[in-house]
Amino acid sequence: MAYSSTLHFIACLFVVLYPLVISIASVWAQTPFYQGKVITVIQGREPGGTGDQRARAVTAFLQKYIPGNPTIIHEFMGGGGGLRAANHMYSGARPDGLTIGSVSSGMLSSSVLGNPGVKYQTDKFHYLGAADGGGHYVFYTRRELGASNLERLRATPGIRIGAQSVGHSNYNLGRLAAFLLPLKDARFVTGYASPEIDAAILRGEVDSRFNQSHSVLRNNPEWVEKGMMDFHVVIEIPKGEKNPRFAKLPELETFARNERERQLIALQRGFRLIGSPFILPPDTPLDRVKILQQAMTKVFQDPQFPAEFKKMVGDDAEIVLPEVMDKTIKELPRSPEIVDLLKKIAGPEALPPRS
Amino acid sequence: MEVSLFQAAVQGFINLLQFKVFLALLVGVSIGTFTAVAPQGIGMPLVYAMLLPVVIRWEPITAIALLIGASSVSAICAAYLPVLFGIPGGGGSQATVLDGYPMGRRGEARRALGASFMAGGMGCLIGTFTLALAIPLAKPLIYLMGSPELFVVMLWGLSMVAVLAGRHPIKGLIAACLGLLIGTIGQQSQSGIMRYIFDQVYLLDGPPLSIIALALFGVPSALDLALTRLGIEQQPAPLQGSLWDGIKDTLREWALVVRCSFVGVWIGIVPGLGSQVVDWLAYGHAAQSCKGAHETFGKGDVRGVIAPESANDAKDGGDLITTLLLGFPQGVVTALFIVALLAWGFLPGPEMIKKNPEVIYSIVWIQGIAGILGTLVGIVLAKELARLAQVRYSLMVPIIFMFLLIGAFSVTRDPVDLLVLVIFGTLGYVMKRFGYPRPAMILGLVLGELMERYLYRSMMAYGFSWLLRPGVIILLILATVSFIYTLRGRLAQWAAAKVPAESASG
Repeated sequence: MAYSSTLHFIACLFVVLYPLVISIASVWAQTPFYQGKVITVIQGREPGGTGDQRARAVTAFLQKYIPGNPTIIHEFMGGGGGLRAANHMYSGARPDGLTIGSVSSGMLSSSVLGNPGVKYQTDKFHYLGAADGGGHYVFYTRRELGASNLERLRATPGIRIGAQSVGHSNYNLGRLAAFLLPLKDARFVTGYASPEIDAAILRGEVDSRFNQSHSVLRNNPEWVEKGMMDFHVVIEIPKGEKNPRFAKLPELETFARNERERQLIALQRGFRLIGSPFILPPDTPLDRVKILQQAMTKVFQDPQFPAEFKKMVGDDAEIVLPEVMDKTIKELPRSPEIVDLLKKIAGPEALPPRS
Repeated sequence: MEVSLFQAAVQGFINLLQFKVFLALLVGVSIGTFTAVAPQGIGMPLVYAMLLPVVIRWEPITAIALLIGASSVSAICAAYLPVLFGIPGGGGSQATVLDGYPMGRRGEARRALGASFMAGGMGCLIGTFTLALAIPLAKPLIYLMGSPELFVVMLWGLSMVAVLAGRHPIKGLIAACLGLLIGTIGQQSQSGIMRYIFDQVYLLDGPPLSIIALALFGVPSALDLALTRLGIEQQPAPLQGSLWDGIKDTLREWALVVRCSFVGVWIGIVPGLGSQVVDWLAYGHAAQSCKGAHETFGKGDVRGVIAPESANDAKDGGDLITTLLLGFPQGVVTALFIVALLAWGFLPGPEMIKKNPEVIYSIVWIQGIAGILGTLVGIVLAKELARLAQVRYSLMVPIIFMFLLIGAFSVTRDPVDLLVLVIFGTLGYVMKRFGYPRPAMILGLVLGELMERYLYRSMMAYGFSWLLRPGVIILLILATVSFIYTLRGRLAQWAAAKVPAESASG
């Protein structure tokens, strides 16, 4: 009897507790990995700049789309134009899905062009996309130069093209334009911040520059409306990205004579397209990579994101989804001949002869 | 409908007459004060980056009061660290350490702080006044200065080594050359050429200037305290001076304040210069032009505090001229301020003058009021903070080293920062011990990079024809006259010092 009642008691206990244990285990198993965790975003820049604002604009949304809503904090690792942070993400950061890098746009070009100090392989990172990729660039000259059309532009010798520094994307685009249009004995004047170049154009210190179309339209709309500058050529990144105000201008690729030159432009387009990417270290568990890529995609598809981004950064968001970024990097033309040619064009020496 | 500038100025002031605006201004003042006394890494760029996501959702004038209040007061109160601890303040207040710290050690910390806040407040008001006047005149001022003219100005600045070298011109020259040499480390941004980087990513940007300044002045100060085993105001000299003495000094030196404020405004206006040179150029100007400066500067002359502080605070007005009237940001802080203006729907530049002049004038008013508030806050807090100078050396030395280490490490958050601090700290101590002027080295370091940039741009844009530009010729003549004048004074001084020595020995 006693045995029977004990058995009965155990059976009852089992019936009562089994669902409870199962449900607790199930809840335990379904607890998102990121719940209660802290994600550190390592920014490859100093705090406070526009790059910092861009990263913060994205992570402000990212938290709500990662299951478990982890806390996201920012750390800064400036130096070497972002190289230090990229190197750290490659070999120093723990690949546990809790460290995200927000590195500079030069991380891809530095690696492909073999710049000194690069200690990472771009193919090994996992990419989460960017909010500042691509863009639409326009090349313009000051009205006083008298280069009102392409023929006159080509006939004007010694045009001075302003840019930030050797290797900067605006410098590379200016050099590409001088190479492909071609321009006679173009000179490149570097060492300016972006707004300084416009001031230098206005006082006649330089004659021309490449600049983002929306920056021109936002900061100096009268240059377009009142014809204070002559606009000549655009480059669309990605290809097909139009700006209606400059729709009539030719695309730089239309001046390419052969496949080699088209690949040259494609390589430069790829460098700029990835913007300032969010990356994960190599060997990060793939399930966590997937969670973060999906969350980032949801951020970029959030209807409120573009307006909030513009508020915080002052520019329109130029979204690059994780899979697009991954594909762009994988499909980048990397034949030694093209890379070598771009190295010469992006360098400080005279432009190479066009074959 | 366009309004007259007078109506806009009145409307700009009326916009401020709200409780929430003054509350925001007070919060900004508190944030600015904290930033001024915090270690170097917590600078205004970080504060703006953290505030921006919040304030862009606010009503613009309230948010502007917070932002401008914080940045103005941060600049005005930047003298605490240099005067009390011998640690260079943030950008724009580094030169203050040269005379501020000796004053502190002589028992005159309160006087130095009083002079600094008064000079800062007056500089801020002069900068603001210039901003208000410049609204119709800004454009020609900016386009007047091209790269060639800026190169000559930098050259002129470098000639101040003769002033900063004190009684040791050869040692000054060696220190300046060392600064120029260290300034070449890293990737040359114009050509992309790597110089002395030894395959180290850290050296791509060169050793950070802020750590070098911190190390050159801060480490020797801390070591001195440790070795003499005295608190700053526990020197054998009795406590002298008060805040009021410093304020009176500043009022007496009003002409110096005005001159240095215009140096600051001008540096703020010109794109590409900035806070790293403003204090040194103003200090050099004061050392060149003040009576008897060659004997007293660097040894605790209150004019050596007044000059850099007034210029540094006036620079904010100049910064805003370029930012608001032309839409060109003058640095990270003004770039973020432009982002905020854009978020509120204002387009900085000529469009803003046409469409929203009352907002520009609100900013002018806020800047002026923040300057006055900052001065008052500085004076009130200085009474309390100056007591730190009486703390025993055994407590002070660890505090100073903590500030130095945090300040250095927070610059790039790389452990190598600490190594740089140690290397340049040792160098600073050796230079101090053997009479090599450290300001000359800093001047070489700061101006070297700028000179190279402007010379490169001038050559690329104009070839050698830049030498024939009228602006260049006028500035070269002025620089040469100023240099000869200074050199003559120096030679006369050395000759005068030599004669009594000879007669004494003979």
